[in-house]
Amino acid sequence: MSRNSRSTLLAHFSRRRLLQGICAGASVGVGLPLFESLFDPSKQARANALGFPERFGVFFWGNGNRPDQWTPIGEGVGYALSASLAPLAGLESKLSVLTGLRVNVPNSIPHWSSAGGLMAGSVSLGDDNDTWTPAGPTIDQIIAAEIGNDTLYRSIETSASTTGSMSYTGPYANNPSENDPFAFFERIFGVNFTAGGGEPSPTLGWRRSVLDSVMADMNELKPALSAADQIRLDQHLSGVRDLEVRLGRLLEDPPQLDACLLPSTPAATFPEVDGLKPLSEISRAFCDMIAMTLACDQTRVFSHMFTGPLNNERFAGMADGHHNLTHDETGEQSQVQEITRLCIDEYAYLLRALDAIPEGDETLLDHCLVMGASEVSEGRTHSLEEIPLLYAGSACGRLKQGVHVRSFSQDNAGKAMLSMVRAMGVAAADWGADDVYTTDGLSEIEV
Amino acid sequence: MLGLALFSCGAPADTDTTFAVGVEPVSESPAPAWRRLRAVEYNHATRDLFGEGLVLPTSIEPDVSLNGLQVVGSSLTSVSAWGSERYEDAAYLIAEQALANPDWVSAHVPCDLDVGDAVCAFEFFDSFGRRVYRRPLTLAEAERLTGVVVSVSLESGDFATGLTYGLSGMLQSPHFLYRTEYGDGGDQLTDFELASRMSFLLWHTIPDDALLDAAAAGELSSPSGRRAQAQRMLADSRWNDGLRAMFSDVFALYELDHLDKDPALFANANSSLGPSAREETLAVIEDLVITQNTDFTQLMTTRSTFLDRNLASLYEVPAPAFDGFAATELPNDGRRRGLLGQASVLALHAHAVRSSATLRGVFVWRSLLCLTISPPPGDVDTSIPEADASSPTLRERLQTHQEDPACASCHVIMDGVGLGLENFDGVGKWRETENGAVIDPSGQVEGTEFTDAWNLGEIIRNNDNFAPCMVQHVAHYGKGQVLTVGEKPWKDWLTAKFEESGYRFEEMVLVTVASDGFARVGGTQ
Repeated sequence: MSRNSRSTLLAHFSRRRLLQGICAGASVGVGLPLFESLFDPSKQARANALGFPERFGVFFWGNGNRPDQWTPIGEGVGYALSASLAPLAGLESKLSVLTGLRVNVPNSIPHWSSAGGLMAGSVSLGDDNDTWTPAGPTIDQIIAAEIGNDTLYRSIETSASTTGSMSYTGPYANNPSENDPFAFFERIFGVNFTAGGGEPSPTLGWRRSVLDSVMADMNELKPALSAADQIRLDQHLSGVRDLEVRLGRLLEDPPQLDACLLPSTPAATFPEVDGLKPLSEISRAFCDMIAMTLACDQTRVFSHMFTGPLNNERFAGMADGHHNLTHDETGEQSQVQEITRLCIDEYAYLLRALDAIPEGDETLLDHCLVMGASEVSEGRTHSLEEIPLLYAGSACGRLKQGVHVRSFSQDNAGKAMLSMVRAMGVAAADWGADDVYTTDGLSEIEV
Repeated sequence: MLGLALFSCGAPADTDTTFAVGVEPVSESPAPAWRRLRAVEYNHATRDLFGEGLVLPTSIEPDVSLNGLQVVGSSLTSVSAWGSERYEDAAYLIAEQALANPDWVSAHVPCDLDVGDAVCAFEFFDSFGRRVYRRPLTLAEAERLTGVVVSVSLESGDFATGLTYGLSGMLQSPHFLYRTEYGDGGDQLTDFELASRMSFLLWHTIPDDALLDAAAAGELSSPSGRRAQAQRMLADSRWNDGLRAMFSDVFALYELDHLDKDPALFANANSSLGPSAREETLAVIEDLVITQNTDFTQLMTTRSTFLDRNLASLYEVPAPAFDGFAATELPNDGRRRGLLGQASVLALHAHAVRSSATLRGVFVWRSLLCLTISPPPGDVDTSIPEADASSPTLRERLQTHQEDPACASCHVIMDGVGLGLENFDGVGKWRETENGAVIDPSGQVEGTEFTDAWNLGEIIRNNDNFAPCMVQHVAHYGKGQVLTVGEKPWKDWLTAKFEESGYRFEEMVLVTVASDGFARVGGTQ
């Protein structure tokens, strides 16, 4: 590729797409949506007062933590990181830690009850073969419906380990992860990366006419389908429509953000080392590219899964896979603790990658809200109490930054989710269903 | 969900049949289905349409297994936004290759590309489109695609470019990417829907022209017409593909691509072990069903198998060939035989560093006997103690699962079966001892005692649930749906026919395809 140079890049920036709204501006109201109302292209995202877009991200790791080595010392601002959170040293002023919260769903399907209970706020749907789906959209997609309409990609999903993800548009509607860094680079920073100075292809209009034909087929087919299949068709149609809108955007001038640079090309392959997948290297390759995807305003919502719920990934020096160790390691579970630290180290890498990119007088991380979460606390018992929940950034000053907030009453983790959803500009009346249901956010983190 | 919730943990199956084997009972009409082509089906379909040499896309929306089958997942899941993007990339990758291939062009495009026009484009979609959509195109569909060709041809000044875009539109259309199984208002699928259902079941790909012609002539509406076509299809080598694809899904053998074993603990663990193990199992199934066309239940007890050097080393037997796989007979030594002696099952249903009686028991229970096992409660400590002098083998370490009543209701069943396979380690290598103690591989399945793995295979073969379970797998796979309770009479009748045939799998498949139950569909509500 020949468009790496900064000067070429700048030469092509003629005019930026206008971003609407400011940090304190009004937002468009939606309740927790069903799919049909989830994506409304007419919505416009907000930017903060400096004109930088606000972004939301999820960092997920599987199998929880060791609760006894997790909780920071001291509350509010100026808390001291625990052993598990030590890799985040230096980020305390931007990192908030929520402890003592509980996922209020029946713990009927190990790992999956709480995965859906946390990320989508309701009881997961499962079957007799241990497969599951959340009963509604996950937090990233609810937010993407609000702030994902101005960018080439409504959201992106990546993983260091699997093609699954913690991102669902609705039940049985997973947004799979890209788990090949090179393929992700080609997708985001390849031929479609006009922000890097490439010229729009003359074929864009032809491709749009093809998509029009595909959408006409879908609309003709729809009335013949059952209600359930119509929802599936609508979800597919929505993706085709997104693609058609994207092709139109590629004809416009790309967004202009000073920090936008073409990232370096990741390795084509990540071979195993001593029979182990190099999960950390893969994750970091993704995190570097996620940072630039946001800096170039190609998307404003991401979901990065280091490892998934119930994963049995093996790490160097460990006697067994992660999940097995959570159940079978005796005593203090020093191996489980070490793996938890490794996972947090990857969260820290992501946050530092975002924090290294200047945006005005602040950093990209300052214009993000990046939650960190796992599906259980103590893996051994699949505990839903003391659920590990972190966030970095402040959502444009809407959430308190750099605090440890502890609930001594096992408060509903859904309240924190509602606070985050609202902080990202979704005028949500409530969050969750049944015992997760709440109309109140977690007031302790709201500004 | 459409779960067939007839069984809870350990309850015996009800296989009573109260009808004459010759008469198919009337069963409930299942809900209609809209089934996305799985990635493997997409690849087979496009190779059939564009030639064996086609370079296939490397990345399309992955498949999700629900209720134990990817085909069921493909009837329930949605396509993500990225999925649409990947379908578009794939469509252009394929369409450009097609138009660049003079043989394909001369066979399918009814005009010279240099003098192409709207009439030529329309005729192309009208004729070639029937195989892509597996039914004749409507006038509106053919006209719409022709419109794409005309506008792109005019703008690009090149008819071949226009046709590339039109063709890629066909490959992104829901009519290619999905199969509708809705019927046309009555209680039976249409002939063209049946042609696709038969073709994807038996061939794992789109129908050929002969099958579409039979559909057009109305021949597939009748059991005899379906049986005649199915017989023709079973004589074709694509039936081998279909059979292999069916068992890859039914036994989740595709997971062997990602087999994760610690090479420090298992000398035989290497990147080709998983694919080799899958090939053995599929080759044995192919041999029993197609080559021998014999009693399929021998799958559980046969010593005849197909091994490469990799597996021969694992099994500690002479390699039957220097390169690749060859037929061989395992020694009659009371150790390894049948499916439960194959590395595919033994390695897949085990952990990265050790065996698992529980996972193996779950496989036997769910995949060979089609019985339900509930997941463990979410809030219990499921730890297994480490080996020590008082509990050297897994049997002792699993005692808590058997003693705690909350665990025992299911674990007695799963572990009781799985402990019978403890002579095979985490990758399926034979062992007599664990931590110095002799392994006790005895146990019982639904009250029938067995002495060891050799004996266990025979016990499963003779279990009343085994044959109906194989019938159920074919039905679920063919329909892309879990059978409803109201379809149980159909399943029982098919099982009786299977038994009557001497458990010949091909005959059971033919009876299934020809039966009324295979063609039946209910309303949309």
